[in-house]
Amino acid sequence: MAAIIDSKTLEHVASLARLEISPDQEDKLLNDLENILGYVAQLTSIDTSSVVTKRPAMTELRPDEVIDGLTREQGLGGAPAMRDGFVVVRNVMGGEDE
Amino acid sequence: MNSELPRSLDQYRRAVRTHVLSPTEYLQETREVIEQNDPQVRAFLHLRLDAAISESKAAKSSSLLAGAPIAIKDNIMMAGEPCTCGSLMLEHYVAPYTATAVQALLSAGAVVPGKTNLDEFAMGSSTENSAFFPTHNPQDLSRVPGGSSGGSTAAVAAGFALGAVGSDTGGSVRQPAAFCGVVGFKPTYGLVSRYGLVAFGSSLDCIGPITRSVRDAAIMLNIMAVHDPRDATSLRHAPVDYEASLQPSLAGKRLGIIHELQGLDVQPEIARAMEDARRAALQSGASVVEVSVPHILSALPAYYIIAPAECSANLGRFDGVRYGLHLEGRDMTETYSRTRNAGFGSEVKRRILIGAFVLSAGYYDAYYKKATDVRQLITDELDLALQSADVLLTPTTPTTAFKLGAVSDPLEMYKADVFTIPANLGGLPAISFPAGTDESGLPIGLQLMGPRLGDADLLSAANVLFTSLGGAS
Amino acid sequence: MITTIGLEIHVQLATRSKMFCGCSTAFGDEPNTHICPVCLGLPGALPVLNATAVQLAIGIAMALGCQLHEVSEFSRKNYFYPDLPKSYQITQYDRPIATGGSLPIATAGGTRAIRLTRAHIEEDAGKSMHAADITLGGETLVDFNRCGVPLIEIVTEPDMQSGDEAYEFLRSLRRLVRWLGVSSGDMEKGAMRCDVNVSVSPDPSRHGTKVEIKNLNSFRSVKRAIDYEEQRQAQCLADGTPIPMETRHFDEALGTTAPMRSKEASNDYRYFPEPDLPLLMLGAAELASVREHLPELPWEMQARFESEFGLTPYDAALLTEERSTAEFFQRTVVISNNPRKIATYMETEVAKLLNERGKTLSETMLTPEALAGLLTMVESGIISNTASKDVLPLLVDTGVTPDEAVRKLGLEQVSDTSAIEELARQVIIENAAQAEQFRSGKEAVLGFLVGQLMKKSKGKANPKLAGELLRKLLG
Ligand SMILES: [Mg+2]
Ligand SMILES: [Zn+2]
Repeated sequence: MAAIIDSKTLEHVASLARLEISPDQEDKLLNDLENILGYVAQLTSIDTSSVVTKRPAMTELRPDEVIDGLTREQGLGGAPAMRDGFVVVRNVMGGEDE
Repeated sequence: MNSELPRSLDQYRRAVRTHVLSPTEYLQETREVIEQNDPQVRAFLHLRLDAAISESKAAKSSSLLAGAPIAIKDNIMMAGEPCTCGSLMLEHYVAPYTATAVQALLSAGAVVPGKTNLDEFAMGSSTENSAFFPTHNPQDLSRVPGGSSGGSTAAVAAGFALGAVGSDTGGSVRQPAAFCGVVGFKPTYGLVSRYGLVAFGSSLDCIGPITRSVRDAAIMLNIMAVHDPRDATSLRHAPVDYEASLQPSLAGKRLGIIHELQGLDVQPEIARAMEDARRAALQSGASVVEVSVPHILSALPAYYIIAPAECSANLGRFDGVRYGLHLEGRDMTETYSRTRNAGFGSEVKRRILIGAFVLSAGYYDAYYKKATDVRQLITDELDLALQSADVLLTPTTPTTAFKLGAVSDPLEMYKADVFTIPANLGGLPAISFPAGTDESGLPIGLQLMGPRLGDADLLSAANVLFTSLGGAS
Repeated sequence: MITTIGLEIHVQLATRSKMFCGCSTAFGDEPNTHICPVCLGLPGALPVLNATAVQLAIGIAMALGCQLHEVSEFSRKNYFYPDLPKSYQITQYDRPIATGGSLPIATAGGTRAIRLTRAHIEEDAGKSMHAADITLGGETLVDFNRCGVPLIEIVTEPDMQSGDEAYEFLRSLRRLVRWLGVSSGDMEKGAMRCDVNVSVSPDPSRHGTKVEIKNLNSFRSVKRAIDYEEQRQAQCLADGTPIPMETRHFDEALGTTAPMRSKEASNDYRYFPEPDLPLLMLGAAELASVREHLPELPWEMQARFESEFGLTPYDAALLTEERSTAEFFQRTVVISNNPRKIATYMETEVAKLLNERGKTLSETMLTPEALAGLLTMVESGIISNTASKDVLPLLVDTGVTPDEAVRKLGLEQVSDTSAIEELARQVIIENAAQAEQFRSGKEAVLGFLVGQLMKKSKGKANPKLAGELLRKLLG
C-alpha cells in the first residue's frame, strides 16, 4: 500500500506549520506519522452521509464598549525587540502579506 | 503529616470554620509535606509557598474555601505567576492576567501553593512529556502519575494540596486521577470558563477539579461553574448547588454499561472493579442496563484528527514575535521555524504536523471533515444511550499506572485514552473515582459519564459508588 | 480584447471597540496602546463577538441587496505573519453572513449594477511598516492597535471592464458606507482597502488568467494599477508571453505592478470552523429592526430627485454624494418649493463658501430654514441676488436668520417708487447722451442706465422697478 505521507508531503506540512525537520529525525517522524495517520484513516469506512452536524449557537454577543486592556509593558514586555513603541521583526516586505 | 489534619477539602473547611484549624497552620504543615516529598514526586514546576502562607493569613474562615491550598496546572493563567505549559517555549513567560476559573477560586478564598507539572501543552498521558522533568506517581515513585494533569493529581494524592485544577482535552484530568487514586472531574463542556486556559483542542478543552473525594469535586465545581462573558462557549444555565445535590443512594437510577466496550482488553483487576461497582449500584437501588454506542471505538481516531487540527492552529501563536522563546533567523520564515523547532518538544511537533496535514488542501475532507462527522455520529449515539441510562460506567483506563519510560510508541500511548475520549467528543461530563487497587496496590479508577449539564446527577451517582467502594466522602 | 475585473474590498466597520475584545479602534494613537490578551493573541485568551459589528455588517449587506443568512459561521484562516498574533485570522469562509446583492455604478453607458458574490465579517490584522531599505537585514515595525478591528469584506463578481468602472464602484461603495454611517470609508486611513483581480482575454467568451493586485492605497491607485495591468497583459498576449496566475504588488511611485515574492508554503490556509465561536444566528426580529432603520439609499434618493424635482442627473448625483447634503436639500425644498433654484444655489454659492471654510454642511450653522428664507427674499425682491452673497456667510458662520442678517448688513432692497424715481431723474440728467440714444430707439442702453442707478443706490434699488421707472421717464 502506498504511504499516506512521504518525505515531500512532510516537508510541505512542516513548512506550513513553520517547523524544521532535521534529517536525522525524518525517518522516525515519517514512521510515527504514517502509523498514526494509517490508524485514524480507519474512519473512511464509516458511512457518515446522513450525519447532520450540529453546532451550538452564540447566545450572547459583546456590547460595543471600550474597556481597558493591557499597557504596552504588560502586553509586550516580553517581546524580543521593541523600538519607539513598535515591535521590531525581520523585514517581511514581499512576503505573504494579506 | 499530622494524622489529625483534614483529609478532604470538606473536612478542612469545617475544621477552619469551627476554628479547630487555622489556614496558616495548615499551610505551614503543607509546606513541610511539600518540602519533604516533592523532591521525589516533582509535582510542581513553581512553588509560591511564602506568598501562599502570607495570603492564608488574610483568609476568612467564613469564605467558601477559607484559605485552602489549591494547586493550579501550569497551563492556566494566574497573573504575575509563571505559566510555562511545561514547554521551553514559555519557560520564562509570566501571566499578565488570571483565568476566570482561577479567579473564582481565589475569590472564594483559595490560596495557590504552586503551579503544577504537565505534559507539554497538555499533550500526553504520562507527564513524561514535560520539557522540564517528569512527575512521579506518589503511590509508586517508579511509575508515571498519568497525564497531562499529572502534576496536579500527584499534588493532591501526595497531600501537597487539598484540591487542584487540571485541564481535560481527552482525559487529562480523569486518567491521572485514576493512576494516582484521586477524583478527577471533567464538567460539561462550557460549564467552566476556558478563559485563561492555554488552548490545546478548543472544542474539547475543559477545566476540571482534582480532589480526594467526589464531594470535594462538587465543592470546587460550585465555585468554578460560573458563566463567563469572556468565553463565547461558556454556558448560561440556572444555578445548581452541586454539593447539595449529592444523594445518599442510586434509588431509581439506571446505570448503563456500554456494549461495544465489553470486549476491550483491560487489566483483570479493573474488570473486577467494574463488577464491584455494578454490584454496588444494584445494592444502592439502581438498575443496570446495557446500552449501545455503535461507533464509540471510532472516538479515538476521530479525536486524534480533531485535537491535532485544533492544536496546530492554537499553537501557531508561539512564533517568537511578541512573547516566549525567540531564536533569530535570517528572515522571518527562518526565525519562526528556528524558534518553534527549539521551543516545542517532539510530541507537540508530531501533533502540530498531524494537524497541519489533516487540514491541508487535498486531505481536509478525508480526515478533518470525516472526523467531525464521526464525532457528531458518536455524540448522537451517546445522547441516545443516555436516554435509556442516567449514567454510563466504564473503566477510566485499560491499565493501572505504568512505569516511567515503559510506553514509547505514541500510538500505543494514544490508545490508552479509549475510555476517556468519548466524553470530550460529546461535551459530556465525566468523572473518574478511585475503586480499589490492583495486585501491586496501584489505584484503579472507574469512570461515569452523564448527559450534558447532568453534572449534578453525575456527581451524585459517582459519590454513591465512590463511598460504597471504600472512598471517604 | 476584453478586460475582466473583480474587486475584494475590506471596509472597516465604525465600532468603538474591536471585533473580539474591548480595545479601542481609535486611529492614529501611539503604537501598541490599544492591546489586550485577546487581540495580542496571548495564550489562554478567547474572542467574544462585538454585537455592533454584526449590526453594521447587516446594514451594509441589506443596503447592497444581499441575502442575509440566518446561520453563519466563523472560521480560522491559518498563516504566519508578524502582524497576525494568533497565526490565524478569524473570518468567515464556508458560511458567510451574506451572499449575492449588487451595487449600481454610473458608467459611460448609464447606470449598471455590479453583482456581488458575498460579504463576510472578519478581524483586521495589525499594521506592518516596512523599513525603506528592503535589503537583507531590514526591519519591519509592527503596531497591533489595528489588530482585531472589525471588517466587512465584500467580493464582487468579475463585472467591471475598466479601471474607470472599478473607480466608480469604489466611489459608489464609499458613498454608501458613509451614507449608512458604518465606516469612514477613508482609504488613506486604511478604513477601506481593495485588492483587484484583472484578466485580459482576446476571446470575449472566456476570461483570461486571473492576476491579483495588492498594495492599492487609494482609488486612483486602483485605477492606475488596472490601467497598467490591462496594458501589460495585452502586451503579453500580443507577444505570446505566458501570463502566470499570480499576485502582484503595485508600485505607487512607478505606477507599475511586479510579482510578489511567493513562498513555497503560501495559499494553503487550512480553513476550519472556529471552535471558540458558536454559530452566529440572525433572528428575524433583528433583521427587521435593521431593515426598519435603513435610510433611503443614495441611488434611490438620486433617482427620486430627478423624477420628483426635475433635477438633472448631474445635480442629483452631486446633491446625493453625502447624506447630510441630500437631506439638507430635501428639507429646504419642503420649506420653499423651488428645487432647481435651491440645487443651483447649493452647488454654487453654498459649495463655494464651504470650500473656503473647509467645512462640510453639517459643520456650519446654516439651516434649511435659513437657506429657504434667503432664497425667498431674493425671489420676492427684498434683496438682490448679488446682495444674497453677502448674507450667506452670516447664515453659515453665525446662524442668524436671513431677516436679521439683511437688517444687520442694511441690505433691504429699496422698492420705494418715489425714492427710485428721484435717482432715475438724476441718472437721466447725468447721462444725457445715453438717454438720448435710448429715446432714439437703442433699447440696449437701458441696461447701462439701470446699472448707473443701481450704483447710485449702492445696490439697494430693486433693479426691475428701476428699469420700469427709467423707461417711463424717458418715454
Ligand atoms: Mg479577508
Ligand atoms: Zn484587545
